[in-house]
Amino acid sequence: MARLSKSPRARFSLATPMLILLCVLWLIPTLGLLISSFRSPDDVRNSGWWTIFPHRAWQVVEVIKPDATADRSGTMSFAGASGTFEQLRNGIETDDGRRVTWVGNRRLGTVRVEERRWTMTAHLTLDNYANVLTGKQYEITHEDGAKETLRGDDLSGAFLNSLAVTLPSVLLPLMVAAFAAYGFAWVRFPGRRLIFSIVVALMVVPLQVSLVPVLSDYVQLGLNGTYLAVWLAHAGFGLPLAIYLLYNFIASLPRELLEAATVDGASHLKIFRSIILPLAGPALASYAIFQFLWVWNDYLVSLIFIGSQPNVQVLTMRLAEIVGSRGNDWHLLTAGAFISMILPLAVFFSLQRYFVRGLTAGAVKS
Amino acid sequence: MSGSPKTLIFSVLLAASALATPAYADPSMPQELTDALAGKYKGTTVTAFGAFADADEVKFNQNIKAFEELTGIDIQYASSKQFEATIATRVDAGNTPDLVDFPQPGLMGNFSKTGKLVDLESVLGADYLKAQYQPSWLDMGTKPGPDGKPTLVGIWERVNVKSLVWYPKKPFDEAGYKVPSNWDEMVALEKQIIDDGDTPWCIGIESGAATGWPATDWLEEMMLRTTSVADYDAWTSGELKFASPQVKKAAEQVGAIFLGDGMVYGGTKAIVSTSFGDAPSPMFADPPKCWLHKQGNFITSFFPKDRDLKPGVDYGFFYLPGIDPAYGRPVLVGGDIWSMFNDRPEVRAVMAWFARGEHLKTWLASGGTVSPHSDAELSWYGNDIDRGAAEILANATAVRFDGSDLMPGEVGAGSFWKEMTAWISGSEDLDTALQNIDASWPKN
Repeated sequence: MARLSKSPRARFSLATPMLILLCVLWLIPTLGLLISSFRSPDDVRNSGWWTIFPHRAWQVVEVIKPDATADRSGTMSFAGASGTFEQLRNGIETDDGRRVTWVGNRRLGTVRVEERRWTMTAHLTLDNYANVLTGKQYEITHEDGAKETLRGDDLSGAFLNSLAVTLPSVLLPLMVAAFAAYGFAWVRFPGRRLIFSIVVALMVVPLQVSLVPVLSDYVQLGLNGTYLAVWLAHAGFGLPLAIYLLYNFIASLPRELLEAATVDGASHLKIFRSIILPLAGPALASYAIFQFLWVWNDYLVSLIFIGSQPNVQVLTMRLAEIVGSRGNDWHLLTAGAFISMILPLAVFFSLQRYFVRGLTAGAVKS
Repeated sequence: MSGSPKTLIFSVLLAASALATPAYADPSMPQELTDALAGKYKGTTVTAFGAFADADEVKFNQNIKAFEELTGIDIQYASSKQFEATIATRVDAGNTPDLVDFPQPGLMGNFSKTGKLVDLESVLGADYLKAQYQPSWLDMGTKPGPDGKPTLVGIWERVNVKSLVWYPKKPFDEAGYKVPSNWDEMVALEKQIIDDGDTPWCIGIESGAATGWPATDWLEEMMLRTTSVADYDAWTSGELKFASPQVKKAAEQVGAIFLGDGMVYGGTKAIVSTSFGDAPSPMFADPPKCWLHKQGNFITSFFPKDRDLKPGVDYGFFYLPGIDPAYGRPVLVGGDIWSMFNDRPEVRAVMAWFARGEHLKTWLASGGTVSPHSDAELSWYGNDIDRGAAEILANATAVRFDGSDLMPGEVGAGSFWKEMTAWISGSEDLDTALQNIDASWPKN
């Protein structure tokens, strides 16, 4: 053991700074978005998110009104800087570290004298979050001239809808896949390998090609626009991967365990409940995370199968709509996105120890 | 009269407005609408689907409330940001909404060709529709049916007037600039701004995957101003090539502004990298960094939000003047258009209702839209911007729809955008760009 632990530690010393660097690089855009979500749209438009940190920038110390009668076609002098109108428009830096800039047009402009000073533009606001959480306000004027302010939908309804879509869409395929994986791994029946191959091969079918046929079936069955429709769709699209992942794990369980149970007279159901389920915990959890993140972030499936019903819209659909008909409220998107991330983050962090363990589920045979 | 008090009030209102507007005395009103107003279709539901969402959706829902209460018809409107993709899937799968509001007539044409749309002339009556819309609107709602015969399949919900030039009114007046009423004055104003050391235009054509569309609007405006509407129609239908002298001449007019020295804030680099929504904001800097911005009336929702900018005080607009007096005062519009997928009496009634300008009253009062209906009055508008745009529309010598929306998708939502962007950014010359667009036109 002592010999083994030596080499990983040596590599560790190089890997750590690289990892930290990569993490920082990956996180910078997210940090930028997070900061932007606390800024007003006009601030976002006019300056970068990093300007909220202290930095040196030009600040106006004096404004000079040029003599109205003076000739503005030649060289002019202000505050120790002289140049033509064009040069002044671009700004002239003087020897004492000041900058003299002509602001405005040739006839009406003024001259600003600026110095470089430490500054920060920390006008942070919660408006974006308030807007997203409580719903946008719309002013309506009725025919008779009466004004009324209406509040749009807040995110809470969509949040609950997303939960209502996601939980069954995770549990349903998880349950079916666990049974199926056990069956494929430990129950002998003819055509087992063929059926398993077909199920695994289904992973390569892009879900987009099945949207229209599935939707037309749903319409005929009267399922369209219901939660059940999305549950079934998500379960169906998620099953091949789930079965494959769980099969690899369950098949790698020690044969002796199951044989002992069979000798003791346990039925398949009993073996599944008392042996497989407790042992497959990490694999189940890791698949649950996969499926949860996929369903929570899904837009397409929900759009097609429940998109026609405004009252069951999920979070991703609300987010897409929050920016307005023409994208004019783009500034709300950052706040909305961070709110929608809360639950996936919580799920990930609470289940992450299974996730790492489950990633290697079935990867190596013991 | 056995109707409820509300029906009575409504009938009185109808009668009263009939005195004011002759359109109401119209005997051609479809029977279904009359029946609906009498409450015959109480308890029925009409599903509607469209691309307008958010504030527009709220205004629309307020709009139809009175009609719903009166008739007992429940109009369920749903919107989708992915309208184009969703509607095709839903129709293919048989999950068709009763009414669909298309953001542009090109896509509607596809459904008309496959015979999915109801011929409105036969269900609502030609006389009734003629009383509600000017002929040019009905022409723009007519598409070839499955048998190739032109069929009226769409009626216009609302219009976006595109030929508007916005300017920061307060500094504009202080600088002594005057709103131009013809092209010579327009050129003189540009020169005056340049002489003052500023840049006249704020232009941005970036729009994600749709980058370039504002530039196509410019070319359409210039087409209308430098050649006949017959040429414009031939151009949008593919008969007049992009490489033709007429289109090239119009493109050179666009180039005079887009590529002109000192004409656009930030130069060509800024044009292609600035989002169309951000483009007007330098106009509201103090002092303005650019002075003129051409865009449809929707652009006010993109103006800076931190200051309470007031129309008529902080900003104003004028009609982009005609260039050649021979072509009058053409106006370029965009807009959205209702079509009918399922034919039921209550759907007919709602459609007939949508053909009347009065169904838009709340929306017009709340602002953000212009009505194409003949019965809409200027006094219904809640703000001067919409009213002014409606006036410009009313005074137009010719109204034409956004050409890129009429062209096939490969061109109007593809090569036209891309090649204009390539030309403006300088990666292609004008001739190459125009020829490339011609080459992309689908052959059949």
